[in-house]
Amino acid sequence: MTFWRPVAAQVSGLRVRLLLAFALLGITTTAVVASGSYVQARTVILQQAQDAAVMSLTDQLTKVYPIAQLPPTQDELELLAQRLSDRESFAVVVYRDMRAQGGSALADPLTPELRQQVRDGDIAWQRVSLAGEPALLIGTQLALDRPDGTSRPSGVEVYSVRNLVPEQQSIDQLATRAWLTGGLSLLLAVLLALLSARGVLRPVRDLGRAARRLGEGDLSTRLTVRGVDELADVARTFNDTAGTLERQVGELRRMESDARRFVADVSHELRTPLAAMTAVTDVLDEEAEHLPGDAGRAARLVSQETQNLTQLVNDLIEVSRFDSGTARLALDDVDVAAAVTATLRIRGWADRVRADLPSGVVARLDPRRLDVIVANLVANAFRHGAEPVSVRLSADPDWVTIEVADQGPGLDPEVLPHVFDRLYKADTARSRSEGSGLGLAISWENARLHRHGERRGALVAGNGPGGGAVFTLRLPRETTDPGGAR
Amino acid sequence: MTRRRTGRALLAGGLLLGTLLATGCGVRPSAVITGRPAVSGPAQGVGLYLLAQGELVLVLRPATGDSAPANNLALLAAGPEVNERRQGLTSEVPAGLDPVTVTSAADQSGGLTVRTNTAARALSENAVDQIVCTVADAAAQTGFTNSSTPVTIVGPDGARPPQRCPIS
Repeated sequence: MTFWRPVAAQVSGLRVRLLLAFALLGITTTAVVASGSYVQARTVILQQAQDAAVMSLTDQLTKVYPIAQLPPTQDELELLAQRLSDRESFAVVVYRDMRAQGGSALADPLTPELRQQVRDGDIAWQRVSLAGEPALLIGTQLALDRPDGTSRPSGVEVYSVRNLVPEQQSIDQLATRAWLTGGLSLLLAVLLALLSARGVLRPVRDLGRAARRLGEGDLSTRLTVRGVDELADVARTFNDTAGTLERQVGELRRMESDARRFVADVSHELRTPLAAMTAVTDVLDEEAEHLPGDAGRAARLVSQETQNLTQLVNDLIEVSRFDSGTARLALDDVDVAAAVTATLRIRGWADRVRADLPSGVVARLDPRRLDVIVANLVANAFRHGAEPVSVRLSADPDWVTIEVADQGPGLDPEVLPHVFDRLYKADTARSRSEGSGLGLAISWENARLHRHGERRGALVAGNGPGGGAVFTLRLPRETTDPGGAR
Repeated sequence: MTRRRTGRALLAGGLLLGTLLATGCGVRPSAVITGRPAVSGPAQGVGLYLLAQGELVLVLRPATGDSAPANNLALLAAGPEVNERRQGLTSEVPAGLDPVTVTSAADQSGGLTVRTNTAARALSENAVDQIVCTVADAAAQTGFTNSSTPVTIVGPDGARPPQRCPIS
């Protein structure tokens, strides 16, 4: 089945079908025309030959008259047979039991049905095959006139045996010519079929190629419209469709980039007032202890929310950098174990995290981004999972793998696909969490930014065998900066 | 659907081609083709009807003078000549047929009457045919009547019913 499908597609392909149709048409037409004219020409040739032979025989026989004696002697019959024989034919004269043959050693070429017809008083002829060669037998009786216009049979029968080989040759020639014509017309039909198949198939092939390019994302693909036929219509429709698609996709992209730029702009605009607010909340924080009751709590709340807002704005700016493709890697040869240890120590997690960091793993990566990723994952584990949180480093020649696991309830299967979505909140009840909701998304983007050839960094979320979420970061050991583009 | 239609077209084409090929190439043997009546021409001499293995056969002899029907009957009664006998010709007409008279009826359709002294009823069928054909031929030759005239043979024992020559 699977083997035959390509073959079947080939056989039922447009080219083969056209070829077959043309060839069939050519063969049929040629066969009908050629064989029709052949049969007609053959009939004409044979009829002319027969008529001429009959005419010649009757002409010769009129010279036999008047007949003065019956029954004839054998000598008379022989003489008559000799007189009627020539190069192309020989005569057989029969009178009752007597028989004379002029020329040719053939035993008895005469057929009983012909003799019967001749005996009945008509000129009759018949084509037969004599020793493999076609021959014409013509027979007549010699009748005697009566004064009243009727005639009486004399009993003498004259047969002429005429070779039809020359006619056979000209008929064979006709046949040869018919075959030749047929072959030539078949050849012509095939050529025409190929030409027209090419004419039809080229636009179709062009169309297919253009559609593929369009599918691959080249929206500027257009076809050259040739002629005014249906295929040209299709090409025109394709161009219109591609044009509309390009316009709409362009519009969408413009809107999207507008939206991103808006986010980036807003984030930047928010930074300045936030800086001022942070300065103020720092003062408020210091004064908070001296403020009584509610005022102190309010001052601390404002300070806390301002910090969160600053974090959110910073994260937004980071994300907008990824979106605009301006994020750059600052690559360095890094001892990964030392870098992770530093990250944990700086944030004061060194004691709370069970770290399994074999030393000596050196990779080329952006240490700042590694720090961001690890900090995010560990913070996440503390925030949503349960302690103990473990960080495990492993490496092979191509990859560096860091696993961050906790002993919490793990990730809900429904949540799993959305873990890295921006501002996605797994727990709707806890809508006001401490995080900005962008941490994992930023980590994911950071991981993907690291790439080397076909290898691309990845961050994968899953659940460990003993429950608890496991985030696995894989980075290529050799990262090359692609030059800004994502 | 398409495949079935293609198949049908192929079949039709094949059948057509097969039919055409079956007509054959070259010169094929044929059945007997019949044309005009046989070649015919004038004859000279006296025509008599003799028998060869019981069949009527026309014999032409050089004319010896008057070719009146009665003379021809006299020649018939004389029997086949030597060379004719050598070729197997016989006659059943008795020698006693002569003398005969041949008269023509007043009207054209009445036919010919042959009067003889031998017993007419005793004549064999072949003899009667010989006489009838010879007389009818001779009468037609002289222009009296046409060759299919009925002939009545009358003898002393009575008359035979009128008869026509079986050879047209």
